[in-house]
Amino acid sequence: VNWRLALACCLAVWLGVPTEGRTQSSPAPSPRAVPQAGQGEFVPLSELPPEEQLPATPLVFIAYGLIWFAVLLYVVTIRRRQDAVQKELDGLKRQLRS
Amino acid sequence: VFLQRTFPVLVTIAIAAFGAAPFLIDGAPHESTMGLVQKIFYFHAPAGIMMFVAAFVCGTASGRYLFTGKASADRMAAAAAELTVLFGVIVLVTGPLWGRKSWGVWWQWDARLTTSLLLWMMFVACLLVRKYGGPASEKLAAAVALFGMANVPFVYVSVNVWRTVHPKTTVVPNLGPGMRGPFWFCVAAFLVLFLVLLALRVRLGEQQAELETLYLELDDQSSRL
Repeated sequence: VNWRLALACCLAVWLGVPTEGRTQSSPAPSPRAVPQAGQGEFVPLSELPPEEQLPATPLVFIAYGLIWFAVLLYVVTIRRRQDAVQKELDGLKRQLRS
Repeated sequence: VFLQRTFPVLVTIAIAAFGAAPFLIDGAPHESTMGLVQKIFYFHAPAGIMMFVAAFVCGTASGRYLFTGKASADRMAAAAAELTVLFGVIVLVTGPLWGRKSWGVWWQWDARLTTSLLLWMMFVACLLVRKYGGPASEKLAAAVALFGMANVPFVYVSVNVWRTVHPKTTVVPNLGPGMRGPFWFCVAAFLVLFLVLLALRVRLGEQQAELETLYLELDDQSSRL
């Protein structure tokens, strides 16, 4: 009888106490749900104040410049490695012939 | 052999294509929301495609080397690994320059950017293993390259599967008529550049192999004397 009473009490307490996961009705407003001032207002890029605008031209030129720099640097490193190997090859061939 | 034979033709095509590309890009219409900075797309996306192609070539050649032991496959894998890193650098540098203007941040730890960085790091690891791995490092590097190649489809679909700030893969098929031509022209130009660099790097590998053979011959001669 005692354990049945205890179980009934536990069940009553569990049903009676609202927990975060079970209570779906009237959830407390989360701080994220409340829109901040200025949030949700779309401002087109062209309407931004001049001090907030980022010029695109330097970014495009830097991007293209870096691409060419990277490719040229790679070609130069291949050329240098080829020259070094060729020099070593020529020396070895001379050594083998003598 | 095909790459070595067609090398002068490929170099001529690459120079002509990259000479014409800026004019085509300049003539393409401006994207309505991003404006001028969107022009980075014409080199950023083709470089990304070449990074995938290079990773695929490297992974395939590595697999061939692991199963057949052919030295030519290993040379191809080494060349393609370097090109994956090179095109990866281009993608990872031009992307943030574009993102800074259109997203307001240089970098975002989202799925596409993070997986791209991981792919690049895997191929850097592959090169480091080759250089400092000691004996039999080629096989270890080949295994790393295989994992790198397996990462490519995940990088590609990452924008469609996870929420990300990066545009989805549907952008390219839905390009406007004025943008489609210059974009595919740039892809072709980058493909030719990839082939030129691959031929150059494979030739270097062949010279290095020749050098090693000569050293062995010299050792053989001196041991006989």
